[in-house]
Amino acid sequence: MLQLQNVHTYYGNIHALKGISLEINQGEIVTLIGSNGAGKSTTLRTISGITPPRTGQVLFEGKPLNGVPAHKIVSQGISQSPEGRRIFANLTVRENLEMGAFTRNDKAEIASDMDRVFELFPRLKERVVQRGGTLSGGEQQMLAIGRALMSRPRLLLLDEPSMGLAPVLVDLIFEIIQNINSQGTTILVVEQNALMALGIAHRAYVLQTGAIVKAGDAATLREDEDVQKAYLGME
Amino acid sequence: MPNTKRYLITGGIGFAVGTFFLWNYPNLALGSAIIGGLVIAALCLLYSAPLPDMVKGGLIAGLFGAVMTIVYGPDKPGVAIIAGMLSGLGAGLLAFQRKPQATPQAGAALGAGAGAIAGAWTALALFLTAFVIAPAAGVDASEFAEHLSETVILADAMGLASDILILLFVLVFCTITGALLGAAAGAARALPLRPNIPLLAVIALPVILIPLIDRAGNLLLLDALIPIYIFILLALGLNIVVGYAGLLDLGYAAFFAIGAYTTAMLSSPHLGINISFWLVIWVAAAVAAIAGLALGAPTLPLRGDYLAIVTLGFGEIVPILFRNLGGGPPTGTLTLRFFGLPIGIEQMDLTGGNKGINPISPPNLPLIGNFEPSNKIPWYYLLIIIMGLAIFFINRLRDSRQGRAWMAMREDELAADAMGINVVRTKLLAFSMGAMFSGFGGAFYGAFIGAIFPSSFDFSVSIILLCMVILGGLGNMAGVIVGGLLIQGADKMFIPKGAELFRDIADQRALTTGGSTVGVSALQDLTQQRLLLFGIVLVVMMLIRPEGLLPNERRKAELHSDDDPININSVAAEADADPSLAA
Repeated sequence: MLQLQNVHTYYGNIHALKGISLEINQGEIVTLIGSNGAGKSTTLRTISGITPPRTGQVLFEGKPLNGVPAHKIVSQGISQSPEGRRIFANLTVRENLEMGAFTRNDKAEIASDMDRVFELFPRLKERVVQRGGTLSGGEQQMLAIGRALMSRPRLLLLDEPSMGLAPVLVDLIFEIIQNINSQGTTILVVEQNALMALGIAHRAYVLQTGAIVKAGDAATLREDEDVQKAYLGME
Repeated sequence: MPNTKRYLITGGIGFAVGTFFLWNYPNLALGSAIIGGLVIAALCLLYSAPLPDMVKGGLIAGLFGAVMTIVYGPDKPGVAIIAGMLSGLGAGLLAFQRKPQATPQAGAALGAGAGAIAGAWTALALFLTAFVIAPAAGVDASEFAEHLSETVILADAMGLASDILILLFVLVFCTITGALLGAAAGAARALPLRPNIPLLAVIALPVILIPLIDRAGNLLLLDALIPIYIFILLALGLNIVVGYAGLLDLGYAAFFAIGAYTTAMLSSPHLGINISFWLVIWVAAAVAAIAGLALGAPTLPLRGDYLAIVTLGFGEIVPILFRNLGGGPPTGTLTLRFFGLPIGIEQMDLTGGNKGINPISPPNLPLIGNFEPSNKIPWYYLLIIIMGLAIFFINRLRDSRQGRAWMAMREDELAADAMGINVVRTKLLAFSMGAMFSGFGGAFYGAFIGAIFPSSFDFSVSIILLCMVILGGLGNMAGVIVGGLLIQGADKMFIPKGAELFRDIADQRALTTGGSTVGVSALQDLTQQRLLLFGIVLVVMMLIRPEGLLPNERRKAELHSDDDPININSVAAEADADPSLAA
């Protein structure tokens, strides 16, 4: 469904992604794990067009995304829940969700998608008229994911969904991610919490300083000694 | 009644002020309006017991009346009637706040009642002024009565009878005004529209009636009102850029200049092109909109302070450009070298340099003919139509997809991008839409003034427009209009007239006491201090109410986001302190 072929991305002179190649198949949950500064978020930003690659190809459903601006990538079916959530703090929950459906024009369908989001996140329904900034961290994360779903993506990019959340909430969020996936949305999730991410993902890539050092089945990687040492805190 | 003391104090202060002015300034209309304000406050108090809203509104209406009288009082007592009408408006509005009426009849009845009360107090105030306070103060009231008679209806019937008739007229006038406003509000409320429509109807009626009152009372109000409205139109455009899209623009006067110069160049004998105003106004708006794109494109990557600096530069460049595109020595040939090849450009006097362009052709309509400078009424109505359309259009724009895109971009540009919003287009559109409205404003301004000069569009214009938007409330059109009325009203009406008033008081002091006028000399020239006054107002506003007088709810939240936990705590503390809430 999505292919990155030898992608190099720069921030000015800083070489952030040094030839990343990866593949995501229809219906999968794929996770990118790695330490700080490994290039996980940059990979997502490259896919969503916010920091386009300097060289290399991004193919979505066989079509190249090079040169397609970020706002157009949303209507092609890729939607991102950005790092740090970035919800609209002064808009209500409902308005935030409506903003997520900005590229769409079908009122009835948008309403039914909003109901679906409320089904996934009953907490959001209780807070529908509350301003985004007044939600708790977990609720904001739910809102960010819900908002990303409102554009009806075929591929959902999640950037650090567990960041700053209480362990109970992390469990809940990951459960919901699996739930969304089981309803047919392909998901690429970037995580620091490697254990959780490997627990729900089908496949995983390990990033280190801008390059992929390991790839494979999530279950296999979880048993991998290097991965356990470096990212799972096991000796 | 817990508020009685506050009202008594307010009333006492008002009375003291009124008396002071009466003593020093033998014009009685002013005193009457101030007393009127007090009376309406008292009547509101009686109308229904603890109604701080009504009392506040009554005081505001009375104050408004007093200000109107300060502005146009000296030799135009017809103002007392306007004061009465405005008070009737205040009373009507407040009555509606209490008891919304769903039919025109009920609205008319309620409005008539409120208007009659307002009329009664105006009449009472006039009566008190003419027959009680004036004799007590040793002032001759007959001159005042004479003015009133001339202004109103009875030029020949002098004496007590005419005075009583005048009082009756005021009463009837206010009642009718109140009834009309009430009927309009009731009818509007009966329609299945949004709830703010009755308020709009109540505001629109006086706006439409002002030229008639102006003519009847010979107040020359339109001379000041038209420039004020032009500035409000500009501020509404600026509000799109600053309020909706969150892009700080310090050079907005440039677009005003572009609109005005486009009109002047295409519609005057200066260049020998004389296109009808009705066409030129669209051309001016289009040229300004394109200029908005031209400013927007290079500033796309800039944010906040940096954007403000670039717009500031743009605002400086444009008037200088217009100055340098003309005037100077008579036409010659300017030789430029382009890759070494000499190219002769015949120098044209495009803009008249410092002398500007004069005259500019006025609009022309079949029945009215050319709009004349002496008759402001067609100009006023034309401007009202332009503004009405602008307000409608901007309102629709705000609620459209585009408006939501602006809102999202203002809140978080990156998140907006991630939502599929084309940030580049959204920004450019904000600049060009904002510029377009100042293009309309500039075209009207050029035609209305009949002559334009580069100095009319300098930095202070951009700043005053920004002050209007900020004082009124960023992002809220009603707020911007109020801010515009206050600042431009102060600039063009209140401060000049206030200065006149101070001068009169000082002169009279000097005459009666033989003392010197040194102490008041600084106050005498209030007009010189106007920028100082604006500055003080801005500083105070930013400190105590940064969201403006009538803020946009979301903008308010943005500016007060730190306060939220405090508010929650204070609510909790109140609940603890109040056993009835806790239980």
